[in-house]
Amino acid sequence: MSDQHLGEFEQIVLLAILRLAESAYGVPIRHEIEKRADRKVTVGALYSTLDRLEAKGYVSSWFADPTGERGGRSRRYFRVEPLGIEALALTKEMFDRMWKGVRLA
Amino acid sequence: MPKDTPKMAERFLRLLAPGREGEIIAGDLREEFEARGGGLLWYWWQVLSCVLVRLSPYRLTAPDLRQDLHYAVRVLRRNPGYAFTAMVCLALGIGVNSTVFTMVNELFWQPLPVPQPDRLVMIDRTGEESTCSYRDYLELQRRLAGPGGKPFAGLVAWDGVGTSLDIDGDSQIVMAEAVSSNFAAVLQIPAQVGRWFTPEDEQLGSDPVTVLSDGAWTRNFGRSISAIGKRVRIETQWYRVVGVAPPGFVGLSPPHAMQLWIPFTAQSYVRQLLANPGERERPRVKLIGRMASAIEMGAAEAAIKSVDTEVRREFPRITTSTGALIVSSAEGASMPAARAVATMIAALLLSVTGVVLLIACVNVANLLLSRVAVRRPEMAVRRALGASRWRLARHTLAEGAVLAAGGALLGLLVTYGANILLARSVPSLPHAGKVSMVLSLNWRVAAFAAAAALASALLFTLSPAIEYSRASSASSWKGEGAGMRRMRQRDVYVVVQVALSLTLMIAAALLVRAVQHARDIEPGFAMNHRLAARIYVSEPEYTPETGKLFLAHLLDTVRATPGVRSATISYTTPLSFSDSVCAAVDPVARPRRASSDTVAPGYFDTLAIPILRGRQFAATDQPGSPPVAIVNETFAKHSWPNQDPLGKSLWLGCDEKAPRTVAQVAGVAKDAKYEELDETPRRFVYRPLAQNWVGFVALIVETSGSPADFVAPLREVLRGADSRLRVYEIQTLEQYASESLWKVRWQASLLATFGGLAMLLAAVGLYGVVAYTVAQRTREIGVRMAMGAKQADVLWMVLARGLRLTAIGIAVGWALSAAVMRMLSVLLYGLSPLDPVAFTLASLVWIATAMLASYLPARRAMRVDPMVALRWE
Repeated sequence: MSDQHLGEFEQIVLLAILRLAESAYGVPIRHEIEKRADRKVTVGALYSTLDRLEAKGYVSSWFADPTGERGGRSRRYFRVEPLGIEALALTKEMFDRMWKGVRLA
Repeated sequence: MPKDTPKMAERFLRLLAPGREGEIIAGDLREEFEARGGGLLWYWWQVLSCVLVRLSPYRLTAPDLRQDLHYAVRVLRRNPGYAFTAMVCLALGIGVNSTVFTMVNELFWQPLPVPQPDRLVMIDRTGEESTCSYRDYLELQRRLAGPGGKPFAGLVAWDGVGTSLDIDGDSQIVMAEAVSSNFAAVLQIPAQVGRWFTPEDEQLGSDPVTVLSDGAWTRNFGRSISAIGKRVRIETQWYRVVGVAPPGFVGLSPPHAMQLWIPFTAQSYVRQLLANPGERERPRVKLIGRMASAIEMGAAEAAIKSVDTEVRREFPRITTSTGALIVSSAEGASMPAARAVATMIAALLLSVTGVVLLIACVNVANLLLSRVAVRRPEMAVRRALGASRWRLARHTLAEGAVLAAGGALLGLLVTYGANILLARSVPSLPHAGKVSMVLSLNWRVAAFAAAAALASALLFTLSPAIEYSRASSASSWKGEGAGMRRMRQRDVYVVVQVALSLTLMIAAALLVRAVQHARDIEPGFAMNHRLAARIYVSEPEYTPETGKLFLAHLLDTVRATPGVRSATISYTTPLSFSDSVCAAVDPVARPRRASSDTVAPGYFDTLAIPILRGRQFAATDQPGSPPVAIVNETFAKHSWPNQDPLGKSLWLGCDEKAPRTVAQVAGVAKDAKYEELDETPRRFVYRPLAQNWVGFVALIVETSGSPADFVAPLREVLRGADSRLRVYEIQTLEQYASESLWKVRWQASLLATFGGLAMLLAAVGLYGVVAYTVAQRTREIGVRMAMGAKQADVLWMVLARGLRLTAIGIAVGWALSAAVMRMLSVLLYGLSPLDPVAFTLASLVWIATAMLASYLPARRAMRVDPMVALRWE
C-alpha cells in the first residue's frame, strides 16, 4: 500500500529506535544514525520526522521524569508501534522483491 | 570545562517551541553540548534547523491542514442544513460579483479576438474624436510601418459609421467600420468565407466591396455561400459581398457589434474629398497599429509622436489642433464614450454587488457564531488539554475555507446562469446598432471568484475564530451562558445587514421612481398620437430636386390618408439622435457648435412646439429665396441678450475660411428636449429642408387613433408612393422616448434585482438570529407559559425582538442612504436623491419582510409546550 510506504529517512529513524530498544530518545537516536548511516542529522529534522511518524501511529512517545542531568529537563522516549513494524516489513519486502534477480555488474 | 549553553539560542528555541516540546529539544541539545564539550556554532545551527523545519511550507500547513479540512468537512456533513445555507448565501454573493466582474472584464480588459492582441495599440488624439486625416495616415503608415526596423508592423485607418444596409428590399440601420485595406492583414483576421480587402479595393474608382460579419451573414443569408458576389446597398451605393469575418469578431468598437466592413475609400464622401489633391484635413480617421515584434509600447509611442509632429510641420493646415497623440493597448471597449458610460455603470454595480457579498458574509459569520456557542464546551476542554488558541481558531478557518470553496464553485454556476441573463438584458442602444456582450467565464473570472471567496472567508471567519480561541474561560465549560456580548455582536450584524440591504432597496426604489419621473418630464413637444418612419430618398433614384418633389407629394398623400391629422418631415427623430451645425452671430466670431435639425414646413404644428416670435418655415422658403433659420429660446437668449432676435443674421458652417451660409432668423421656438429627457437647455437651430437637402429623413405623422395601429397602414402608403422606397424602422415617438431611458431603466432593474437579493439574504440573517434566540430561550418561554403567559404575549415578545433590530437597521440605513444617494443624482432625471416616497417604500417593504422573518420563529416559540421546555436539558 502506497501510504504505508516509508521514506528512506523514516526507515532509518524507525530502525534506529528499534536498535536502541529501551534507551531510544533524541540524543542516542541521532548518534545511532550518525554512526551507522554515516549522515548528519539536525535536531529539527529528527523531531519533525518523529512527530510525523507519531501522527501516523508508527511510533509512540512518553516523557521520562526529569533527572539531574541535562539541566533538569525531561527526556522524550520513543517506541516503535506494531503499525510501524508492519510498515517497515512491507517496505523491506518491497525492496526485496525489487532486488530479486538484480545483479549489479 | 564545558561552557554553559548559549542563552540567546536557548531562549530563541523556547520561543519557537513553547512547552514540553521545547523543553525536550533543549534537554537533548544540552546533553550533547556537554558531551561534545561546547560548540557555539553547532548549537546555533541545531536551533536554526528547528526554525527551518518549522518554516517549511509543508510543516506549516500540510499535515495539520489536512486534518483541519477533514474535520471541517465532517462537521459540515453532519450539519447539511447549515452547510447548505451558508454555501448558497456565499454562492449568491460570489455569483453576482463574478457576473458583474465578467462584464467589467469584457468592457475594460478583454483583448480583441485576434492573434497576439497585446501587440495592438489604439492611437488617439486628446480632445478629438478622430486621430488624423486620411492623407496624414498614409504618410504615417509610409514612414512608420513595414519591415526593416520600423516601429510598426502596420497601421490601420478606421472609422465607425452608423449607416443603412439594404438587402433585397429589406432595409436596416446598422453599424459598420470603414477601414484601410490592410485591416485584416495587420489584425491577422482570416476570412471565414471569401476574402478580405486588397489594395485594389482601395483605388478610387474601383468597384465597392464589403465584408459581412458572421451575424449579418447568418441573419441575412442563412450562412449560405451564395452570399459571396451578392450586391447589397449601403446608403446610396451598391457594394459586392466578397467575404465573411470569422465568428466572434465584431470589430474594433466593442461592445458595439459591427455588421459589416467597407474600404474607407469606397465611401462617396471620401472619394469626393480625396478628388482634391490639396485636401489635407479631411476625411478624418482613427488609427490602430500592430507594433513590430521587438519594440516596446513607449518606444512606439515616441516614434509615432515625432513623425506626427514632422508630418504636421511639412504639411501646414488651416485648423490648428493642439491635441497630442495617445497610444494605449487595444483592450475592452475602445470608444471613450462607451468606456465612460461603462465606468460609471461598473462602479455602481460593483459597489452594489460588493454590498450583497458583504451581507452574505455576515450571514455566514452569524451561522459560524451560532456554531461557536454549540461547540464552546468542546473547545474549552481542548484548550484545557493544551491546544493552542491558534489551533482552535484554525478549526473555524478550515470550516470557512471549505464553505468558501463550495460557495465559489456554486458561485461560478450562478455566474454562468446570471451571465446569460445579463447578456440578454443589455439593451440595444437607440440608433447605435446592436450591442454584443459576450460574457464568458475565463481564467480572470475564475480568479476573481476565488479571490472573492478567499476575502469573504477571511471576513466571515475572523470574528468566530476569535470567539473560538477565547473559549478558555471557566464559564465556557457550561453549555449555557452564551454571553450577552456575543448576542450583542450578532445583533450588530443583523442591524448592519438591514441597513445595507435597505440602502440598496432605497437606491433601487429611487431609480424606479426616476424612470416614472422621467416619463413626467415635459419634453416640450407632443409625443402621443405620433409616429415616425425613417426613409431614404437618395441618388440614383432621386436627385435633390426630384427628391424634394417626391417628399412633397408623399406629405400630401399621407395627409390625405384617413386617420392622419398632420404630417411633417425632419432629419432627426426627437429623443433619438441629434445633428449639429456651427453657428456664429457675426462673421469674425469663432463658430460654436449648436444642436440642429433640418425640417419641413408644418414641423412645429405636427410636434406642437410653440413659435414664440416670428413665423414658421413656409413653402416659400426655397433654395432661391433668402436663407432662413429658426432658433430656440436658449439660443436667442445666449446670442442676443435683451435684443430682438428676429431678422438677425447667423453665419452657418464650421470652416472659418470657406464661405458660409448667412441665414436670417425668421422665428423663435420654445425650448424642447432634443436628445435626452434630462438634458439641460441647449442652443438649437432649425433649418428648412428645402434649403438644406437631406435624403435620410423621418416622416412624422400625427394620427387621430392609436399610432401603433397606424404602422401597417403607413407602410402601405409608403409602398404605394414608391415601391422601391427604402423604409427603415417605424416607431411611435413614445417608443423613442422610452428607448432614450434605457440606461436608467436597465440600472433600475439590475439594482432592483440586487436589492431584492440583498434583502433576501438579510432576511435569512434576521430569521437566523431570531430563531437562535427562540432556541436559546425555549426554557424561559416554557416557564413564562407555565406561569400563565398567553401565546400572544410570547409571540409579541419574539416579534418585538426582530422588529427592534429592524427598526435600528432602518434608522442606520436611512442615515447611510442620505449620505450615499447623492452619487446617484446623475441618473435620477432631476428627482431628489432624498425622495421621501422611495425611502418610505423601501422601508415598508423591509418592515413587511422583517415581520415575516421574525414571525416564523415566533410561531414556533408560541407552540412551545411548557412541560417539554421545562424538562429540556
